[in-house]
Amino acid sequence: MIRFVATLLFVLLGAGTAQARLNIVTSVPDLAALTKAVGGADVDVRSLSLSTQDPHFVDARPNLALALNKADVLIVLGGEMEVGWLPVLQRGARNSAILSGGRGYLDCSNHVALKEQATGAVDRSQGDIHPGGNPHYLRDPHNGVACAEAIAERLAKLDPEHAALFRTNLDAFKADMQKRIAGWEKAAVGWKGSPVLVYHKSWTYLIEWLGLRPIGTVEPRPGIPPSPAHVARLIAETAASKPRALLQEEYYPAGTSRLVAEKTGATLLHLPGGTRFEKQQTYPEYVDAVMSKLGEALGREEGE
Amino acid sequence: MLKWSFHWLGVFLLPSLAFAQGAAEPVTGPAAAATTPAADVDLEEIRRALEADVQAAEKDAPTFTPPTAQASGRRMFNPEISVIGDFAFAWFTTDEPRQTGGHDPAETGFNLQGLELSIRQSVDPYFRFDGNLVFSLFGVELEEAYATTLSLPYNLQARFGQFLTRFGRYNPTHPHQWSFLDQMLVYGKFFGPENNRGLGVEGSVLLPLPWYAEVLASMTDAEGAESTRSFYGSADVTVDSPADFQYTLAVKQFFPLSDDWSLNWGVSAALGPNPTGRGNRSDIYGTDIYLKWRPITTAADWMYVALQAEYLYRLRQVPQRLLRDHGGYAYLIWHFSKRWETGVRHEWVSGVEDDPLDPEWNEARHRTSGQLSFFPTEFSRLRAQINYDRPRWEDPYWGFFLGAEISVGAHGAHAF
Repeated sequence: MIRFVATLLFVLLGAGTAQARLNIVTSVPDLAALTKAVGGADVDVRSLSLSTQDPHFVDARPNLALALNKADVLIVLGGEMEVGWLPVLQRGARNSAILSGGRGYLDCSNHVALKEQATGAVDRSQGDIHPGGNPHYLRDPHNGVACAEAIAERLAKLDPEHAALFRTNLDAFKADMQKRIAGWEKAAVGWKGSPVLVYHKSWTYLIEWLGLRPIGTVEPRPGIPPSPAHVARLIAETAASKPRALLQEEYYPAGTSRLVAEKTGATLLHLPGGTRFEKQQTYPEYVDAVMSKLGEALGREEGE
Repeated sequence: MLKWSFHWLGVFLLPSLAFAQGAAEPVTGPAAAATTPAADVDLEEIRRALEADVQAAEKDAPTFTPPTAQASGRRMFNPEISVIGDFAFAWFTTDEPRQTGGHDPAETGFNLQGLELSIRQSVDPYFRFDGNLVFSLFGVELEEAYATTLSLPYNLQARFGQFLTRFGRYNPTHPHQWSFLDQMLVYGKFFGPENNRGLGVEGSVLLPLPWYAEVLASMTDAEGAESTRSFYGSADVTVDSPADFQYTLAVKQFFPLSDDWSLNWGVSAALGPNPTGRGNRSDIYGTDIYLKWRPITTAADWMYVALQAEYLYRLRQVPQRLLRDHGGYAYLIWHFSKRWETGVRHEWVSGVEDDPLDPEWNEARHRTSGQLSFFPTEFSRLRAQINYDRPRWEDPYWGFFLGAEISVGAHGAHAF
């Protein structure tokens, strides 16, 4: 009997000690990759969505609520990116630590300077806009570094035992990123001022980082699929500027973009929507993949 | 034995401890290792800790940021408000269409199905409030108004107020969440035009299993012509004992078969008294499945096919008889492009001869429907639906509907 009671108590009360690794859940795979870079082998990381999914429209599958139930930390993009699905999961998870404002909740948008913040009156006649600013900020690797810093700081706070390790990992990540950013910027020197089209306004941060010149969007307004009239106008208005590339995530339909690319002479670039975290890709490898695709359209030799 | 007593003491004290601490701490992870109460903690220690925490909470109160289930980074004290309007034009080939739902297009011509005002916000670190008021042309109806707990320990969650019971998959949903623009026949017949709801309390727990399994129980008023037809319904009965309430029990499980395939399975029971005499009971049992294929791994994640089906079986004790009937529905939705979906549905409900509780509807009825919907954005929907209704007691008839739905205000989150 005593042994049984002792075992039961161990199971009930000791469960916390047995699982001495931080369990981290992120809304998108880019954040999972950044967290893994900082947390290393001492944390468990899982992303609620895949890189092939549009992060605006993720199904709130109950198994994701279960993942949040067991999570110590929830890391999100914020800026209302996950507003259509994450709140349902947070409520269903029965874990107050990961509710917005909880000690395990980290909104990375608070750690970067968001572009395109709404000024003046806002309503949805402007499309499905994010009044707090454009949430696709991880397309600029500087913001990736800023998020990694915020993540490391939070992990260190929640797991003081491994704090030094997280900071060491962060320093290594930052050093690596600094080198890579210099390389990417060097490769992109010749791309400055190149006119480009985008499907959705999700490449703003990349475009501004590399000094490209955005001249039009296939979506007439954020989240609104293109109408024939808009496509005709877009082609008429931009063909003369000779756009070099049309940037689009692989999860958006490509039919219209193919037509626009063909008529304007742009190269249609099907870019990965995020880090293939499930295939162990890292965040710098993801940026690399995007840059190499961009190189196909904008030319490599100029920068190298 | 001493250890046992302290452990059970802990079980009862922990919830109040969680309340006294502000937001409850996570119960897993390294942080928990430091805060997990040791087995030999004594009563005096707990009392002191509680007092200290209450004092600390009072001191910290003005600067405390309540956790909320909002993804927004902005902090505002106005509740999230949204308004959803459903309008329809209907054409029936009969003068007396038998639509069951309180928000169905019920007669030939223009129909306001409802204007739903939804208000929601976290109350404090412990509760969240959800309210739904539905405006019709001549009145307002309080559809739901309830609080949900946010920080109970042991994966528990409780609700209190006026709410739709979580019987089956269809019952707790609102018209704007429906794939078809009228109420399911079996719910109209077994529960009433508003689905099953009432004032009451609900408790639920997420079981510590490797897959999602939730068990819930609720106790609600058994009266209300609009929502408890199988129970007291419109009868005016005084409550004398716990047996005068409706009890709902359900188990909901989810199986992620793969990244692309999802399966939801539920079993439910609604048990309560009926007005045919003291002690006579009505029992409704149901099971529901939802199978969805959405190829999120292949970057065509806007496409999906979903099958939803429910079966309900009802037993009612009446003087000298036990009435048994059943009903159900199955529908298939194909969301074939970013903005379009189409679906087919079949429903049936059996009847009981000389049904003393439902004299108007004592034979079987089948209904088959098809719909085509266009979503200009996720905030609006235009749709066409066709019904072929076959009540056995009269000639079959057709119903044709055009529906428009608009939603403004706070961006709602969609349940799976």
